[in-house]
Amino acid sequence: MAATTTPPPWQWPIPRPLQYLFDAVPLRVYEATELPARSQPATSDTLPSLYVFATAEDARRGRPSFNPGCLKWQTYLRLAGVPFRLVASTNHASPTGALPFLLPPRSTTSCSTSPIPSSQLASYAEKTHAVSPSTPLSVVANIPSSSVLRSEAYQSLVDHPLRNAWLYALYLDRRHTSLLDTFYTGPASSSGLVRATLRRQLRHAAEGEILKMGSYLSGAAAGTAVVDGDRVVREAGEALEALAGVLAESGTGWFFGAEGPSLFDCAVFAYTFLMVEYMAGPGEKGSREGDVWLGDMVRKAGEGELEGHRVRILRAAFGEGS
Amino acid sequence: MSLQLHVWGPGLGLASVDAECLASIAFFSRFVDAGEYVLIQSSPSAVPTHQLPALYDVNTQSWHSGFPSITHHLQAILILPEVQQQPTRKTRSDAVAYASYLAQHALPLITLSLYVSSANYTTTVRPAYSAILPFPLGWTEPPALRAAMVRRAEHLGMSSLDADADAEREENAQRAEAAAGWVQVPRGLLARKRGVGELLAPEQKARIRLEGLAREVLDVLAAVDWDGQDGAMQCLAWAYLALMLVPRVPRAWLRETMMRDYEGLCAFVERSMERWFVDEVQALPWSDKKAQDGVVRVGGRFANGLLGDVPGLGQAWRRWLARRRGRGALKMDGEGSGELLRIAGAGVVLVTSALLWRKIPQFGAPVQIWQREIPSFLGIGAAGLMLSGLAGSDAWI
Repeated sequence: MAATTTPPPWQWPIPRPLQYLFDAVPLRVYEATELPARSQPATSDTLPSLYVFATAEDARRGRPSFNPGCLKWQTYLRLAGVPFRLVASTNHASPTGALPFLLPPRSTTSCSTSPIPSSQLASYAEKTHAVSPSTPLSVVANIPSSSVLRSEAYQSLVDHPLRNAWLYALYLDRRHTSLLDTFYTGPASSSGLVRATLRRQLRHAAEGEILKMGSYLSGAAAGTAVVDGDRVVREAGEALEALAGVLAESGTGWFFGAEGPSLFDCAVFAYTFLMVEYMAGPGEKGSREGDVWLGDMVRKAGEGELEGHRVRILRAAFGEGS
Repeated sequence: MSLQLHVWGPGLGLASVDAECLASIAFFSRFVDAGEYVLIQSSPSAVPTHQLPALYDVNTQSWHSGFPSITHHLQAILILPEVQQQPTRKTRSDAVAYASYLAQHALPLITLSLYVSSANYTTTVRPAYSAILPFPLGWTEPPALRAAMVRRAEHLGMSSLDADADAEREENAQRAEAAAGWVQVPRGLLARKRGVGELLAPEQKARIRLEGLAREVLDVLAAVDWDGQDGAMQCLAWAYLALMLVPRVPRAWLRETMMRDYEGLCAFVERSMERWFVDEVQALPWSDKKAQDGVVRVGGRFANGLLGDVPGLGQAWRRWLARRRGRGALKMDGEGSGELLRIAGAGVVLVTSALLWRKIPQFGAPVQIWQREIPSFLGIGAAGLMLSGLAGSDAWI
């Protein structure tokens, strides 16, 4: 029987003029465009990629990032002996909106390839180390349990006075506007207008961040909380002194008597390194009376403990001299 | 009487409702003779530094704001034998670290308990501020302070304690739903789901997380030997801990956690309170007058508070004020004042264009009006000129 061949459903006949038109100009689907060449190494690698704020040149050579949060984890992973590649990026690239994050290599079958935010990087490093003990010996030590609670109090010195001083110096202090342009506004756009707007937004955000801290709160009732630069710098100075003091007390050269550098050391290094690298001031002859430079403060804190600590970590993690 | 200490006034069963103010009062009560200083109830908008606690030294005519600079100034001008034993490097480092820790971690905890939680705020904290502040300021300053405090504790993710904000959100959601749907069910007919969750207060629902947050902070503080710290540090720690323990609030999760698991800290708070304060809060040398109580000043502060709340304009206004105050310290160029100018400029342009729009004749209007020329002397030649000269100069125009 002819039942096997069902007639096709009835269609409207195509009008002649349209038929001619489509015959003359046929629809054609082009091949998908290749990804740009520079995106290739970002995904098709066997190494995990760490996305950080950095200039393209620094990222290629594996040099330290210019963002303290990123540098802390970059240092940590390097000390832990986890091999990774650095990718210069911005926080728009991050699934959580924050850098750094680590993208595991696509070739691995054991772990998932979803990005790892910074809060889970420590456990990732431990896991990688356990999987492949052939990686260089993990030098990341833990703080002795007797000092863990005390170290939390000192961590708040890094998270607030030092961070505020860095924010103040980079965003609000006009001496470092060129630095801000090189780091953040320059790569974002080449238009002067966009850069100026961006700079303004960044400044307001930094100011809000500093003002959120404890002792500015009472000014909120008066409606006019204002960032007091001298106070920010003074508090940072006290914090650096205190950190130098506790480092001297430790005796091993690492914080809280640990055998090797711990995550806390990395957090301190992230700020001291950047302050010395970019905010060291013009030296003896160029500096004006009353000018305070964060880099100089780091160098002079205590009896130079922090400077020695910075050099030690720089050598251990990045293999560079002072 | 050469020292005036301006602080937030007493409330919540303590000498001050603010931690740093409370610490300063404790420090004065411990180390300075009662005859040498006077306490003045104030608010940040009444002192030139816009920050409390503030110390005014009549001799040097200088203002010092914030607990660290006050204690620093006191140690410079007075001989305080109990404080001035040479601290070791360790004590000094610890003092800096714990002061920072208290401000960054203990304060958000107090904020959750006293400001974010609607029940505690409306029943105890707001009345306390209303009693401290002169009449209309109770409407502008506590809400601004609460908003700032809530922002301070945002990172802990406990905004669910703020039942006011929750209710508002729910109402908005319902309104949006009603607007989207085409059948409107009257509210009375809606079946309400009443589970156990409905009956619990937000603090009860979040109890485990709240206790976890409290424990994280209190564990660190309980590991410290406070009696071994220097005097100023003891006062500061006591002030923060007292604000956790002493206020009688309806949702007392922080107080209960402390009483149950941190006996050492509770003992420290009570012991110090007995030792440092002579007997009652009233025995402190409070001044009778409140700072700058004049009608004009209070009115000015009130107007300032209102202006700061105007949507859109308020932000720029505050920023402009802050910039004007802080230009010297901040070394910033006039970025903020430009904004206020721009807003004012935009306003002027808007008003002018509206006026112009109404003045401009409409082109191609459906009704055209011609009027007869008003007869004047100019129409009749030389004689007219003469006549108009007699009539007055107006006709020349």
